[in-house]
Amino acid sequence: MWEIIRNTMPFLWEGLINTTWLSICAIVFGSSLGFIVGLCRAIGPVWLKKIFGGYIHLLRGSPFLVQIYIIYFVLPSTGIAIFQLSSWSAAIISLSIYTSTYVAEIVRGAIEAIPAGQFEAAKASGMTVFQSMRYVILPQTIGMILPPMGGIYVIVIKSTSVLSVIAVSELVRQAETSILRYPSHILLIYGLVAFMYGIYCYPVLRLTRWAENRWGGIHVAS
Amino acid sequence: MSISLIDFYNYRVVAQYFPNFAVGIGTTLWVSVVTLFFGLIIGTMVALCRTSKNPILRQPAAFYIQCIRSTPLLVQIYVVYFGLPALPLINRRLDEMEGGILALSINAGAYLAEIIRAGIESIDRGQIEAALASGLTYMQRMRYIILPQAMAKVVPPILGHAAIVIKDSSLLCLITVFELMSAGLKLMSDFIMPTEAFLTVAAGYLSIYFMMLYISNKIQNKLRGQRQMEVRI
Repeated sequence: MWEIIRNTMPFLWEGLINTTWLSICAIVFGSSLGFIVGLCRAIGPVWLKKIFGGYIHLLRGSPFLVQIYIIYFVLPSTGIAIFQLSSWSAAIISLSIYTSTYVAEIVRGAIEAIPAGQFEAAKASGMTVFQSMRYVILPQTIGMILPPMGGIYVIVIKSTSVLSVIAVSELVRQAETSILRYPSHILLIYGLVAFMYGIYCYPVLRLTRWAENRWGGIHVAS
Repeated sequence: MSISLIDFYNYRVVAQYFPNFAVGIGTTLWVSVVTLFFGLIIGTMVALCRTSKNPILRQPAAFYIQCIRSTPLLVQIYVVYFGLPALPLINRRLDEMEGGILALSINAGAYLAEIIRAGIESIDRGQIEAALASGLTYMQRMRYIILPQAMAKVVPPILGHAAIVIKDSSLLCLITVFELMSAGLKLMSDFIMPTEAFLTVAAGYLSIYFMMLYISNKIQNKLRGQRQMEVRI
């Protein structure tokens, strides 16, 4: 048993590093996109709110697996050159878009939780919309936005496992490859993989709970 | 040269595969309902253990919830479906449907337990004290005072999780359960038509999702005691 762990560990380690990279890329791009969408949903004109409301419903209503298949298979079949994605770019794009829906809901919730008087006071002081967001509203939302981001990060880490279906060599894919080598030790290898996800996600979950108890935050269903 | 819809989306092929998609949607819904049923049973029991004062009950429940929440569902499905038959106690190959529903229920149980726990803990302390003062036993307190109130509070988040379960069931196509996603993959592997295959599947899931949204709005309005429907998008 130890020999098998010793032999498969380098593969799995490589997978864990790829999983980490994917999740970091996705949380960075996804948060940026989600922040913009959330901002538009909270203070944008009505037509923009409707459009992004539809965006969030479409992405929340379909499984992530379907979204990956659409980005990896359907987009290239349109024949447009820029859509000929490699599996890595398809993975990062689909995961970022998926992440953005969660972030957008948090940002929107946080901005809407600020009392309307704050907006009015900023306006009465002669601030532009940009200034009132920059100096009055957004500083107050940080405490509500940051704690739940930990929960989002865990969702992102767990969602990277699904990317194994388009041959991105992350943790689950590396495990599948290792199982081809040791077919009789499936339970051991997947157990090891589960353990590796666990030691990655558990500290983040603990940190999130601590931060939420300390600062509060917008609750989103995961 | 005229361009028509059929160049982009060959609805004739989709119509030809309609029986597959219908069976797929049926399986998806069935798997979700069964998962939700078992998940609620597991979730209620785990939530009761999690909120009990006895550490022998509380600690394993907390450990179970943490384990499930910090590992991906895909890995859980693989462990249950491929891993469990290797254990000497079981020693037989799980049917893909059994394995899939078992894994999904174990997964949903942990999340539902957290939802139900939040519901139980939201009950005012005075209610429990009043029940104690009336001389009710633990079972009676739970049965008549706490659970009915908690249930009314947890119905909206449970409906939200039901939508997640429906989406999660799409992962079962990877262990060859024939649900909606598999129907799309079959069309894909027969004709290599990704647009027809995957956009149809997406449309199927979206229609289930919007139906759930409608039902959940109705139920929430009923719980709030309002007559008129709120339209939210």
